[in-house]
Amino acid sequence: MLSPRRRPLPARALALAVLLLLGACATPRPGTVDWGGLPAAVELEQTPFFPQQDDQCGPAALATVLTSSGLSVTPADLVAEVYLPGRRGSLQAEMVAAARSRGRLPYRLPPQPEALLAELEAGRPVLVLQQLGVGPWPLWHYAVLVGIDAARERVLLRSGVEQRLEMKASRFLASWQRAGSWALVTLRPGELPARPLLEPYMEAAAGFEALERFADAELAYAAAAAAWPGSALPRLGLANVAFARGDLRRAESGYRAAVALDPRNIVALNNRAEALLRWGCPAQALRVAGEAQALAAGGPFEPAVRATLAGIAASAELDRASCPSN
Amino acid sequence: MRIFTRSIVLGVCAALLNLGSPPVAQAGMIGTLEAVAAPGRAADLATVNAALARRQVREQFLALGVRPEHIEARVAALTDEELRSLARQVGDAPAGGSALAVIGVVFLVLLILEAVGVIDIFKKFP
Repeated sequence: MLSPRRRPLPARALALAVLLLLGACATPRPGTVDWGGLPAAVELEQTPFFPQQDDQCGPAALATVLTSSGLSVTPADLVAEVYLPGRRGSLQAEMVAAARSRGRLPYRLPPQPEALLAELEAGRPVLVLQQLGVGPWPLWHYAVLVGIDAARERVLLRSGVEQRLEMKASRFLASWQRAGSWALVTLRPGELPARPLLEPYMEAAAGFEALERFADAELAYAAAAAAWPGSALPRLGLANVAFARGDLRRAESGYRAAVALDPRNIVALNNRAEALLRWGCPAQALRVAGEAQALAAGGPFEPAVRATLAGIAASAELDRASCPSN
Repeated sequence: MRIFTRSIVLGVCAALLNLGSPPVAQAGMIGTLEAVAAPGRAADLATVNAALARRQVREQFLALGVRPEHIEARVAALTDEELRSLARQVGDAPAGGSALAVIGVVFLVLLILEAVGVIDIFKKFP
């Protein structure tokens, strides 16, 4: 990760000084950290600790949050899944993927400090990425936030080989913000974060579906459908799971529920047409796919809708008597 | 014995053919992940070839020292969207690893203080 540049030492030092000063300008001053106006004093003492080996803070930090969410896993189990020898570290995408592969929903928190606090108060430690380097020497580090003491302006971390690293809150937040404010909690399927947001939650849940973990996806979508009864997305997700399992009746009624909530939802219309076609209702499918086609023109879903229509055109059957009437 | 050998050969061939083939998708179906992605990203999903991204990530994992027997499982654990973004930047995406940063920072601060003349501890430095 070092980029060796051969410039005279004073010039390099000066450049560094400028960079460091710029960084210092961006650092919030002590006393200005806003935890959302809450009198924060929380420490999750029960959070396990796995001291990091070599550069393997990724496996150690991930094992910490996964164990806290009820799994039995050690850093050594995760090395083969998330450690990248050539980069001497772990990539965020693989940390997310490893949590998902073990049946935990990797929920990315919004970039506000109060989101971190809310999770701790709900009893969940938070996996964070920090950027501890300076200027052209970035040093990325995963740690687990386990405590916040707002009055003393301190946070507590399981970090590297430190079981209880106390850090100035402003310094921690600056290092976190330099790393893109990346924070993750690993939720049991069906469990919601402390302050759930529809799109990030559904995106994480849809990762289960994309990897064919349908039981986990269904639990997460059902929780979302209960939390956001007016949104079409969770219904669409449930219907997609039913479709993937071959339950066309449930899929079709699920898509219909999604369209009722959002009549211009191209995906729900398109997939409903597919379900109708497979169920033996090509005439109904054609009508629904036509609606999708009008909305999809020029957009990213146009090719999929065209494929659906082509499938309907290739079908020579007539609608069965049991087809839905509307 | 011949049948035994043949069945093993067939099994290995089937496994090889199956290597890296993405989950079978229904022609016209749209997954929830694509539905939830912002419109701009959905367009990206449609244009960037997932199979190509998969191959690129596999090659990069090998080049970055992932043991060959672990590569398939790691690639299979990623969604198409994650594969596409990794294919572009697996070499320079943040890779969290070190906890020894503090030592480096202290050294740099000393270096800067030396350069601006606040301290004078690196006398022997050319």
